[in-house]
Amino acid sequence: MDILRRIQDQARECPDRVAVQSGSSRLSYGELWEYSERLAFWLLQKEDQDRAPVAVYGHKHPWMLVCFLACVKAGRAYCPVDISVPDARVEAILRALPSRMVLTTESFGADAGDKHVISLEELEHIVTEADGGNAVSESDWVHGGDTYYIIFTSGSTGTPKGVQITADCLNHYLDWSVTLGTSPEEKQGQVFLNQAPFSFDLSVMDLYTSLASGGTLYCLEKSVQSDYRALVQSLKESKANVWVSTPSFAEVCLSERAFSEEMMPELQVFLFCGETLANKTSCKLQKRFPNARIINTYGPTESTVAVTDVSVTPELVEAEDPLPVGRPKPGTRILIWNEDGKEVPEGEKGEIIIVGDTVSIGYYGRQDLTEKAFFCFNGERGYHTGDKGYLKDGMLYYCGRIDLQIKLHGYRIELEDIENNIARLPQVEQAVVAPNFRGGKVVSLTAYVVKYQEKETEISEYKKYAAKTADMPEDVPESGSILDAADMKAALKQFLPDYMVPKKIVFLDKMPVTNNGKVDRKALAEGAVRPKSTGIQLRQTETRPEESTDELL
Amino acid sequence: MREEVLDLLAEICEDDAVKQDLELELFESGLMDSLGFAEFLVELEEQFEIVISPSEVERSDIDTPEKILELVEARR
Repeated sequence: MDILRRIQDQARECPDRVAVQSGSSRLSYGELWEYSERLAFWLLQKEDQDRAPVAVYGHKHPWMLVCFLACVKAGRAYCPVDISVPDARVEAILRALPSRMVLTTESFGADAGDKHVISLEELEHIVTEADGGNAVSESDWVHGGDTYYIIFTSGSTGTPKGVQITADCLNHYLDWSVTLGTSPEEKQGQVFLNQAPFSFDLSVMDLYTSLASGGTLYCLEKSVQSDYRALVQSLKESKANVWVSTPSFAEVCLSERAFSEEMMPELQVFLFCGETLANKTSCKLQKRFPNARIINTYGPTESTVAVTDVSVTPELVEAEDPLPVGRPKPGTRILIWNEDGKEVPEGEKGEIIIVGDTVSIGYYGRQDLTEKAFFCFNGERGYHTGDKGYLKDGMLYYCGRIDLQIKLHGYRIELEDIENNIARLPQVEQAVVAPNFRGGKVVSLTAYVVKYQEKETEISEYKKYAAKTADMPEDVPESGSILDAADMKAALKQFLPDYMVPKKIVFLDKMPVTNNGKVDRKALAEGAVRPKSTGIQLRQTETRPEESTDELL
Repeated sequence: MREEVLDLLAEICEDDAVKQDLELELFESGLMDSLGFAEFLVELEEQFEIVISPSEVERSDIDTPEKILELVEARR
């Protein structure tokens, strides 16, 4: 499909249909098309770094969609950045983009450097002042192999990396996503629930599947998601037909007894992605929504949201634990490779390799990282997921990560990203972050931290502080003030999104090492290390990974 | 009963500090979030047959171990 043309058709055929609703604000297809057209025209007049990608900062305001579409109509990729991203990280993303502007729909507190911050007011002004007769030519649109959007994800160096998704990738993905759970015809004009922020690629599943179906995107704002009463009210009022969220969010909703078919009688299908769907969660959903279909999907940001799907029926829940993640969509092949890049026999575990028409063209401006993860396979693009899994009768089973990346509440996190950010704090000599598992799932993170010895700290503190804080915000607590875990967490929140800040911080005198001198992550995860004499205790029972990472591949 | 509820809370918060300091701020300290609270309510029902719907309570009613104990006590 051609998504932009599809939205244009919707705007012509049903201009008054609501395209997006968030809180009390909404936009019709007609408005969305016209406003984005005018903003695109304005963007085209800007002599700015020849079609460089543009950051769009905000939350769930309907004008986020105006900005997204305006960028791609003006031949530019857009890069969504949610308000939950801390300023230091926003700045790192902005530095990676050469364009001279940022489009914003919420107040912007980060340092934009040489970029011009365009506020919602200015956007509205540009659109109302524009001469409506100036249509953008289709030849200006983002086409084929051009990058359509860039989503930044956690990178192991401590700096996020931008995954480039082309128009072709998105269109191929949408050909499949409109068929999930219900037919494309059934989805026409339906209401799609949006839970994930736009900077999380799960949102592409609801946003674009909705736009491709002439549907209404019903956004749940952050404030609504953290207030149960408001959440229940919004879910009722949404009259949603298609649910898209992480399994974690469904679990939160399930703790509310009213969450059932009676409360959401129009709901036909649950689409899940982003993390393991537990049998227990599926079971409860089937009981509460006996007439809804549950679809589990799997895929990394690097292959446009998801590439496999499976319908989770009561029979499947009965027969399989853990649940499989599905069969590949048309246009995608799943291969399981060993360390030498050789395909393993069916049923054997190895790295999940994705080959096909939705694989990203690589990380923006990072040829080095791109070459490590992407490759050409018989003329098609291939991607090393770093995920461990196996195939059985063409069905894919996911078995965790090969490296130090984890999924927590659906968010993808490189543990080294957190470690590098903790190590930036002036008092920290070394930091290791380990996941805590319950029921085979990562439930939280613990940071093990070795602080500089007191004496040494006094002498060279200033130097270290100066060296490490070259690009730190000014209001970082002064050296010496990070006395306990709570302060350290507060300091980390300036660099890291909340979900990346470890729940527990354990101070150690020294880091355990293995015989060959590496940090002994296993000993840490198993709670075999004594913390410094602080009030924090290690709970041995809960910090055991489901399996050792040594026996991989 | 009190002990058992605190044990459950400690398990979910992954920190025994919640048993020692009953005035500890659970949400601000990062020990509890909405997912953790959802899990707590599910366990409360499974282990003690006490049913509390999250939409019935304000966050300010449940932000310390002591307040949670009071709530559970009132619902027995």
